[in-house]
Amino acid sequence: MSVRQWAADLGLGIRFAFTGGREGWTRALLTAVGVGLGVALLLLTTAIPNALDVRHEREAARSDITFALDPMPKAKDTLVIARVDAYFRDDDVRGRAMEPEGPRAPLPPGVEKFPAVGEMVVSPALKELLESDSGALLRERLPDRIIGTIAEEGLIGSAELAFYRGGEGLAEKITPGRIERIDRFGDPQPGEEQSDPVLLLLVLVVFVVLLMPVAVFIAAAVRFGGERRDRRLAALRLVGSDSRMTRRIAAGEALAGAVLGLVFGAGFFMVGRQLAGNAEVYRISVFPSYLNPSPLLALLVAVAVPAAAVLVTLFALRGVVIEPLGVVRAGRPPRRRLWWRLLLPLAGLAMLYPMIGDGRENGDFNQYLVTGGVVLLLVGVTALLPWIVERVVARLGSGSVAWQLAVRRLQMSSGTAARMVNGIAVAVAGAIALQMLFAGVDDDYTKSTGQDVSRAQMEATLSSGVPMAAAAEKFRDTEGVKAVYAFSEGYLGDRAQEPEHGTTITVGDCASLREIAGLPSCADGDVFAVHGAEWDTGEDMTKLAAPGRKLYADPSYEGGPKRHEVPWTVPQDIKAAKPREGLAAGTDRGGFLITPKAVPDALAPALDGHAYLKLDRSVPDVQDLVRNTASAIDPLASTVTWAETERAERFDAIRTGLFVGAACVLALIGASLLVSQLEQLRERKKLLSALVAFGTRRRTLSLSVLWQTAIPIVLGLLLASAVGLTLGTVLLKMTGTPVRVDWVGVLSMTGIGAAVVLAVTLCSLPPLLRLMRPEGLRTE
Amino acid sequence: MTPPAGSLLSAEHLRKAYGPTLALDGAEFSIHPGEVVAVMGPSGSGKSTLLHCLAGIVTPDSGTILYAGRELSAMSDAERSALRRSDFGFVFQFGQLVPELTCVENVALPLRLNGTSRKEAERAALGWMERLEVDDLRKKRPGEVSGGQGQRVAVARSLVTDPRVLFADEPTGALDSLNGERVMELLTDAARSTNAAVVLVTHEARVAAYSDREIVVRDGRSRDMERVV
Repeated sequence: MSVRQWAADLGLGIRFAFTGGREGWTRALLTAVGVGLGVALLLLTTAIPNALDVRHEREAARSDITFALDPMPKAKDTLVIARVDAYFRDDDVRGRAMEPEGPRAPLPPGVEKFPAVGEMVVSPALKELLESDSGALLRERLPDRIIGTIAEEGLIGSAELAFYRGGEGLAEKITPGRIERIDRFGDPQPGEEQSDPVLLLLVLVVFVVLLMPVAVFIAAAVRFGGERRDRRLAALRLVGSDSRMTRRIAAGEALAGAVLGLVFGAGFFMVGRQLAGNAEVYRISVFPSYLNPSPLLALLVAVAVPAAAVLVTLFALRGVVIEPLGVVRAGRPPRRRLWWRLLLPLAGLAMLYPMIGDGRENGDFNQYLVTGGVVLLLVGVTALLPWIVERVVARLGSGSVAWQLAVRRLQMSSGTAARMVNGIAVAVAGAIALQMLFAGVDDDYTKSTGQDVSRAQMEATLSSGVPMAAAAEKFRDTEGVKAVYAFSEGYLGDRAQEPEHGTTITVGDCASLREIAGLPSCADGDVFAVHGAEWDTGEDMTKLAAPGRKLYADPSYEGGPKRHEVPWTVPQDIKAAKPREGLAAGTDRGGFLITPKAVPDALAPALDGHAYLKLDRSVPDVQDLVRNTASAIDPLASTVTWAETERAERFDAIRTGLFVGAACVLALIGASLLVSQLEQLRERKKLLSALVAFGTRRRTLSLSVLWQTAIPIVLGLLLASAVGLTLGTVLLKMTGTPVRVDWVGVLSMTGIGAAVVLAVTLCSLPPLLRLMRPEGLRTE
Repeated sequence: MTPPAGSLLSAEHLRKAYGPTLALDGAEFSIHPGEVVAVMGPSGSGKSTLLHCLAGIVTPDSGTILYAGRELSAMSDAERSALRRSDFGFVFQFGQLVPELTCVENVALPLRLNGTSRKEAERAALGWMERLEVDDLRKKRPGEVSGGQGQRVAVARSLVTDPRVLFADEPTGALDSLNGERVMELLTDAARSTNAAVVLVTHEARVAAYSDREIVVRDGRSRDMERVV
């Protein structure tokens, strides 16, 4: 066989793919759109690691944390930068106040010049928000004049809300981690992020679970129009093609569809890339430029998809005899064998088995074994399902006409039916396993904050020196605030510098102090010493609380900046108080509690203000009203909304990624199902019309289509549940987590799978009814 | 409209257009019980459309069709479907057997659609298959039998409900002459034995020879051959 002959046959196939009038084009387009959607999803997946890298790099490039023990001296190239992050509704707003100290002060990435006091540069998304009506509340907090926008290199996503504003007097307030002096932007200690093996395992499994159905989908898409193509091949046999030639021609047709699909896929990807720039999914946005697929992976997609298309076509033609006078599907296909189908999932389990019990401590899971094992288990679903469908439908008896029509059709071509639900079954199996894994390790990534949300729902931290009584009054006047517990807090040492013993000092009115300690009695002017609190050694407090002892608020430490070092004498009439579970962080508070009248004026600058607020959540935007008040009291104020638990950000990001990906994959599979369903119906147009002609009720035919889809999907979902639970159990054992079946997750995943199929069946009913029209009998 | 005396099914002034194409343009027709009428004409003349209108598959744009004294176009789609299930039988050029059902299940299908139990329907189906000499195919699927055998199975299916009118649209169109003649013999014999009227659409004179009367359709108009001759 000459290469020329091969090329000629493939070329003929490629021509056939695009000829045949409107129908030929429609078929080619359907295949190309199907393959294209799959390719676009693959390209997107190959682009995700790059996008995450770019986000990480940009985040590092604008980092303004020094981690320096010694404060940097003021110089011509230094800048004092303060974190003035904000929240608006549920969105984070990254904010920085900047005060350049010399002409060579570093500019942050994406900013062309320093904003003066009263000015700011903002991200495009924040600009849009501030200019819109919905951003009015935020505008109150950020009233500065906008003099420019932050360019792409200064942002980690197109929808990121960020601003830099001019600041003054920041140098006096330098506090490590909050207000710092820097001479450059960028991560001072770049290094590899330590990866959590369980998170890595989750990422690997999420990728495999999402990509497997895409592969199944592409395999289904290249088979669109298969029956008509077979008839065309029979016509070619009539004019002299031998069976090998016809197979090569078929391969050429598939190749053409796949290559056109690649082009479509690249197009879809480019369009999707642009659209991605405008989208924000679960608070993560990217710029289109981030989504550049790795060249090697893109090349792999470009080679693998056409190759897979040809292989799938040749595989599909195995059981088909193309004779000159027509296509003969090998009457009764040979019985499917179970042994090799079982080998796949067993091999998958064997690959995962060595990692069982590795857990988090020893859990440097082998990426290749994990990927290989999960792939084999899921491929096992696609291998086992045709066998199960064949065996089960062979045993189904006759019932109503609709049932009989469906069962007989399934008995005749159980492979087609199994292929149709393969994608859903794989997706559901993977999703069940992941759901179990997520539910199992959820506790590890969700920790209690200790915040008592029944007593307060927000906390505002104000700069030192801000008068708290006035601040508390302003918070009380804010709409939606039901109660305010305001404290000024600081630290007392036994010496002005390098204290040996120390404790906390908390200033508040009697009502507020009662929230944090058990007081025998209280009047303004009282001072209390709390003994026996969680972090109190007892010895320290006893020594420090001796009446008449001189202590120092805000002492200085070696290597740190000089602090306020305000002297304070323990009063003679100090009272004892009992610790009580505090408002914040689950700790009971020790140290000194002082009512406002007992606080000397000199102490005020040494204390930071904290206000704990009880809110009326029914008031719209109550949190932003509070944030606005806090900002009006102190531009450097920060507010935190309390929650009982907090979750690791990366865990949430992976979980979010899974849901987004699963939604895309299910939509894709649904579309593929619909196309193949419609194609099957079109192939049977004449038969349907004939059945209607001799009086078959439309309801009977519609029901038969429903049964025809429902039987394999039920079997597919049962198998998917079994494989998903097995995989989930193995993954949980690998992470050393107790196995617990999340039945709600299993049911919801199978429910979603079933809903997709039901939706597809419902969508195919109108075309079915149209195809049943008697006009289908016309031949001229 | 007054139908010809004793006619079972008759039509007058039938007009039917598919978009700009006029398929029937004032066609007329009548048939008596037990009569075999061949509808002849060249391809595209409107023969099949006439058959589809007469069988209530397609509604004409205008004109009247009377079956056993009832106006067909006045019936709802469901009523016409019920009529087709109970009173009419059909044979098409390509058997239009359901490929996934066995031959006996295919023959039994119209009875099952009428609510007959599976066993009873298959028993009756087997009886007709014996008469049409295809009872040995009962467990085979349509894809496993020859074209002539498949067409005989289709004829059995069309007769299993004891229809009063049998509509046959080019029933031998896909068969060789020997097989075609055998199918026609069996079809007409069976129909005559049950006194069923047969509307036979064909363009082959050889097939039309099995009829009692011939009607020619040309450009959507029908004419009785005897009047032409």
